[in-house]
Amino acid sequence: MKVESRKSKAKSLRFIVGLLFFLVLTLLIAVLLGSEKLSFFDLNESQKIILFEIRLPRILLAASVGASLAVAGAGFQALLRNPLAEPYLLGISNGAALGTMFAFVFLGQFEFLRPALAFAGAVLATLAVYQMAKSRAGMNTERLVLSGVIVTTFLSSIIVLLTTLLDATKLRSFTFWLLGDLSQATPNSFYLAGITAIIGTLILTTTARSLNLMMIGERDALDFGVEVQKTRLIVFATASALVGISVASSGSVGYVGLVIPHIVRLIIGSDNRNVIPATAIVGAIFVVLADTIARTAIAPRELPVGAITALIGAPMFIYLLRKN
Amino acid sequence: MTKYNFKSIGIFLGTVFLLCLFSACKTEPNNIPTISNLREVVDDLGRKVKLPTKIERAVSLAPNLTENIFAVGAGDKLTGVTTYCNYPEETTKIQKIGDTMNPNIESIIALKPDVVFVSTASQIESFTNQLEKQNIAVYVTNPNSLTDVLANLKKLGELFGTQEKAEKFVVDLEKRTSAIEQKINGKKSVKVFVQISKEPLFTVGGSSFMTDLIKRAGGESVTANIKEAYPKFSKETALALQPEVIILSESEDNKEPNDVFKDSPAVKNNKIFKINADIISRPSPRLVDALEQIADKLNQ
Repeated sequence: MKVESRKSKAKSLRFIVGLLFFLVLTLLIAVLLGSEKLSFFDLNESQKIILFEIRLPRILLAASVGASLAVAGAGFQALLRNPLAEPYLLGISNGAALGTMFAFVFLGQFEFLRPALAFAGAVLATLAVYQMAKSRAGMNTERLVLSGVIVTTFLSSIIVLLTTLLDATKLRSFTFWLLGDLSQATPNSFYLAGITAIIGTLILTTTARSLNLMMIGERDALDFGVEVQKTRLIVFATASALVGISVASSGSVGYVGLVIPHIVRLIIGSDNRNVIPATAIVGAIFVVLADTIARTAIAPRELPVGAITALIGAPMFIYLLRKN
Repeated sequence: MTKYNFKSIGIFLGTVFLLCLFSACKTEPNNIPTISNLREVVDDLGRKVKLPTKIERAVSLAPNLTENIFAVGAGDKLTGVTTYCNYPEETTKIQKIGDTMNPNIESIIALKPDVVFVSTASQIESFTNQLEKQNIAVYVTNPNSLTDVLANLKKLGELFGTQEKAEKFVVDLEKRTSAIEQKINGKKSVKVFVQISKEPLFTVGGSSFMTDLIKRAGGESVTANIKEAYPKFSKETALALQPEVIILSESEDNKEPNDVFKDSPAVKNNKIFKINADIISRPSPRLVDALEQIADKLNQ
């Protein structure tokens, strides 16, 4: 028994190291591709700026956002014990978007408030979904999805209402951002998203054992000595922060939190101790690749990255649903 | 129970029938007086439109059409405009009927116009039928270049019966345009980047009238080879293009060049020119103002 678990531990460690290797490879490919050809061994002044101030920050932001959204998805799925829980589908991204918009319109001069209010918006949206989905009989999939639909459409209508009431020229760039846009990455914008992604993944990984037990049943988890309330609060806050920060920096990039944890679970099973770190890496790979397509497919014009992730994500999701 | 249902269905159908009769009666007299003085014209989409020979009441659903109608001396015929319409000064006194994308059909009908001028084909499908039922003609016209604007002014002069004023105005605009062409004749063209939005970065492509405007003013848009009119543009390429001049279509979110231009010749030599977005982005007679401003700045 013990030997076997050690074996599987080694196996999942190998898997994660392999994924990390893939991530590095993806980052390298993304750096090599772009609308401008760079002569890497002999960079001139403006090529240096293109590489270090435009391309690299954008790729790293893409990786951070991908990791954050995917891990947040895995966290919400474990917490709500539902494979369909996803920041985008539950309206949590919309909550963050509304928070950012609020900061943008009414507190425009304080740029640092955008991620803070995005986080607040994500928390409120999650609370709303949670309260609505909860019933005496527990939480079933239909209730959760329906609550998500209600929160999503309600928040969308407020966003539309605000864009109609406010000056159109002020919000033009905002509406584009809403669909997911990584082109506004700067060296500074990536730090916050990158650090949040790494710390968030680490925190969620430490709660993985408790989450495993909670997925069996909360009473069983209590019997095993898991502090259910505390775990719930940590996962809930961390996942909301991950969604809030990534939405504040790049809008709503959809489907990442849904598709990536699914794929990872299909490959390495549902033990959260492996699922969470692996999801972070695969999420980063996915969004970096999607954004590379967005940057290069019709260069020097650009595509919205959210459209690419949805285009890949939605069919993949249908396929996964059918296969299960 | 069943009997009762049949009875109520009978009453319902009878009422509907009577209502149909009434409404038929009601639309009849409306048609008669207008038929005699109608003429048929063809709009920019090739639709046949019946207009009164003398237009007394018109509604414009686009700010550039409002400017054009004023330019040909028919501004007093406008009874409704959009909330975007802010030029000339007199438009502020005209009733607003919503914005270009969401015009309020009830307000338009209440104004009883002879004709509604519409600039985008997408608008007409939604309410042409409704308006035409009320004997309100819908005329589609979408000038999209300086040349188009001149043709549009002539056409509007014809429709409103102000040909003379329109002709004179067009001749004047043509004189101003050719004066610029002579001025820049033979000079080396300057590399211009037109920035429509700072973040995300949007510019103009070859099919935009602004590309034509830059060329007429003695410049060359560095993004002219892109087909789309207003593309979202790669920052890497924008930086590599090294424009000598940056023109900002000045609006709330577009007051300074994007950070990627910080080492471009344009920023280093302080060749950043702002032109009011209303002037540079509306195909109206004020495009000639924009042309003069750009030519002036490019040839400093």
